Amino acid sequence: VQPPEKPLQAEEWNKLREDFHSPEIFEEVMLISMIRCNSPIEVAKSLLTHLAKRDGDIAYSVLVKYLTLCVQQGQVSEICDVYDIMKVRFRILESGAYNLLISGLSNSDQWRMALTLLEEVKKIMVPSRKCYESCIKAASRHQEMKLAFELYNEMLAKDVVPTLDVLQSFFDFSRGMKDAELQKELFGILLYLRENQIYPHKTFMRSIKLWFESIPGGNWRGHLTNIKDSGQCPVCNHQLEDSNLTEEEYSNLSERIIRDVIHGTDTFRKTSPQEFEAFQTFVENRLPFDIVIDGLNVSHIKPRKMQCENLLDAVNFLAKDNARLLVLGRKHMLMNSSNWKREIMKEIQNKADFFFAENISEDDAFLLYATLRSGKHCKFVTRDFLRDHKACLPDSLTRHLFRKWQRGHQIILKKYFFSVFSQQPAVRYDCVVQTTGDTWHIPYKDVFEEKYSYQIPRKWLCIQQK
Amino acid sequence: MQSANMLLRKIVRSSVLPFAAQHGMKKDLFLLSRTLSLSVCLKQDKSYEPSEKLDLDEWKKVMKSGMQEEVSETISEPKELSSLAAARETLEMWRLAGRAVPENISEEQLKTFMECPSKSAKKKYLKYLHLKELHKKNHKRKMDEKRERRLEAQDQASKTDETKNNSFVCMLSSVMDKAYNWRAAQSMIFGQPLVFDMSYEKEMSVREVTNTVSQIVLSESCNRRSVDPFHIHFCNFKDDSLYHREFIKQYREAWGRLLITVTDQCYTEIFPKDKLIYLTADSPKVMKTFDHDKIYIVGSMVDKSIKTGVSLARAKRLGLETAALPLEKYLLWSTGAKNLTLDQMMHILLTLKDTADWKKALEFVPKRKYCGFVNKPVKELKKTLDQINTLKLGKGREEEQKQFAKSYPKK
Repeated sequence: VQPPEKPLQAEEWNKLREDFHSPEIFEEVMLISMIRCNSPIEVAKSLLTHLAKRDGDIAYSVLVKYLTLCVQQGQVSEICDVYDIMKVRFRILESGAYNLLISGLSNSDQWRMALTLLEEVKKIMVPSRKCYESCIKAASRHQEMKLAFELYNEMLAKDVVPTLDVLQSFFDFSRGMKDAELQKELFGILLYLRENQIYPHKTFMRSIKLWFESIPGGNWRGHLTNIKDSGQCPVCNHQLEDSNLTEEEYSNLSERIIRDVIHGTDTFRKTSPQEFEAFQTFVENRLPFDIVIDGLNVSHIKPRKMQCENLLDAVNFLAKDNARLLVLGRKHMLMNSSNWKREIMKEIQNKADFFFAENISEDDAFLLYATLRSGKHCKFVTRDFLRDHKACLPDSLTRHLFRKWQRGHQIILKKYFFSVFSQQPAVRYDCVVQTTGDTWHIPYKDVFEEKYSYQIPRKWLCIQQK
Repeated sequence: MQSANMLLRKIVRSSVLPFAAQHGMKKDLFLLSRTLSLSVCLKQDKSYEPSEKLDLDEWKKVMKSGMQEEVSETISEPKELSSLAAARETLEMWRLAGRAVPENISEEQLKTFMECPSKSAKKKYLKYLHLKELHKKNHKRKMDEKRERRLEAQDQASKTDETKNNSFVCMLSSVMDKAYNWRAAQSMIFGQPLVFDMSYEKEMSVREVTNTVSQIVLSESCNRRSVDPFHIHFCNFKDDSLYHREFIKQYREAWGRLLITVTDQCYTEIFPKDKLIYLTADSPKVMKTFDHDKIYIVGSMVDKSIKTGVSLARAKRLGLETAALPLEKYLLWSTGAKNLTLDQMMHILLTLKDTADWKKALEFVPKRKYCGFVNKPVKELKKTLDQINTLKLGKGREEEQKQFAKSYPKK
């Protein structure tokens, strides 16, 4: 439906309604299309007047849609009027209306009313992050940083995840302020980014940079840079944090993987206790390995080649520096078949240790165990992202540890056109927001850059104090 | 008519149409001009009022004036709401806002709603209640219509009162029941056992257990009606478990009269191990024929979140043989999981038992999950595919080997 451009008379509305294919929902459809076309508010008003005259009442859903239109156009006095009407007419409102009211009022000079509305919402439900976002932005826009941080901390305490916009607004509006307390809170936000492994986008990064440089007497300087593979910052020559886990983290992670990934609710789902025990003794007798290879995964790298040839290529390639290799496979690989030639398998078995699991067992679990058991220097080879194993870990902290460990220890073999393998280096530095007190290093991503969750940003903001 | 034309011309001159024309909205212009001219025609005798004279804020007055009495009511009520009442109010508001929310909600449902751990869980639960309510309403409406029709038919029948001459005796449902029960009783002595493994309660949510039980009820009924029923065993069945409570809810007093064997023992304790075959979609082995001497086990589990390998793990632990239906072999699978509902399994197994015809049996797989039956065995299809591939790739393989020799020269 095309909304009219001018306010209409009751008869004209009636006529339009009669022509509409389902007159019961005419008003709602009309209002929705007004919202879409951003029609003048007078047109919507004339529809409401027509409705009020006809029925003596206006349905809540229609009022909410009208409110949406008002919020969209920033009609503050209308928003207040609608709120007054709603407040008298209904005892409480639902989340949609509260969201609209709060976001509408917070953008105006009536922003304190949004705060009282937020209090009202809290009485009946947990406010949405949109509500908090509007209020926090409004407070910080009016330089009430203390209030903004109170709301922010309250939000975190309620497990409402803040948007990057909120975090950015803190940096935008505290520019140039000299306040030790405030500075501490903002450092707290940077540490929040670190703990949750969030990477700011480019505009957010710029806000951080500008804030640092605006601190009076701080003498902070920011530079954009790319970190070398060695993990050294080319600007300040500072060595970034190591990607290796601490002893405690490492033992924690291996314990968790054995408990949650390999055993899970039932050891029989991925393997069997006998088989796992056999594997454990096998690994203990031959420790430590340098590289653990997922045989089946590697053997599928080039589909046109025989699978055992693929595996042979990979083993030949990785065995260069006298590395101790362990190849994990399944029993069917030992059967002489068109893809697994016995002579070639024998050749590979001379170069690496082998463990063959049952055909219905999952070899990935063994891969993780053997690598973790061999120690921190040990790496593993597979193209698998191991997402399903990460998902077996129950809490996000351990999942983050897993990702970090995976980044540092997984080698992915890439296929090139002619059987030469290239090796993706495992990243040696830890890709999180980090500080030494007088320097900050913050990884960021370009706004329009498509980044997969397993990829890490290569661009960094280096901030140092002179 | 002339005056109408005049008016039209006036309107053309006024703002609406030129604006539309400017923006090149030819289609809209057509529509708009038509409706406008019509509306003008309708109230020819009235003089045309320009819309600017409309009191646009009149609706506010109406809304406020109509509420004076209600205001006094609301004030008398206590201001602080208990959490339950608040939740009820919020639901009411959501309903007014047009969300999928049930009209009536019981105290118990309201408590379940409040215990939902997240917002999306709450939304889902409300939608479920809403749909349930809709189904119930529709059902009731249909039953009412049916009753009316029946009453009408009765009226007509009483007018033309005629004694019907029927050579067949009317089979009452109770007679049918007796016949079915006789067969079921026979099967309890001579029939082939079929085991439902009732040990998955911990893996399921309450909803899933309810679904499982209704699927079992369906399979039990179709088993009872078949020519040669199975002797159904419920094994690992704990008294007063969720399963038990659900069964009593669904069967009521008939639960005690069912012609099946219910036991808390495991199937391995009742039957010899080498005769047991656990049916699971995760099994690496594919069932070739239906064996009349074996005892098939079906896991009573509805698994809405994907928990692969749970029943396979159970069979592995007990060292039992497993099997999966040869779905791939006979059907061109399109979408959906390979695990079937319990009543579908029952239909398939019953048909296999009676006819040993896979095609007939697999008719019970839902049509949406496959495109059609494979007319040739898959092995032959694969062979021809392989042949085509080797013909195609034969050349490529050689080239690659040459390249391999180049990059890894023999020393």
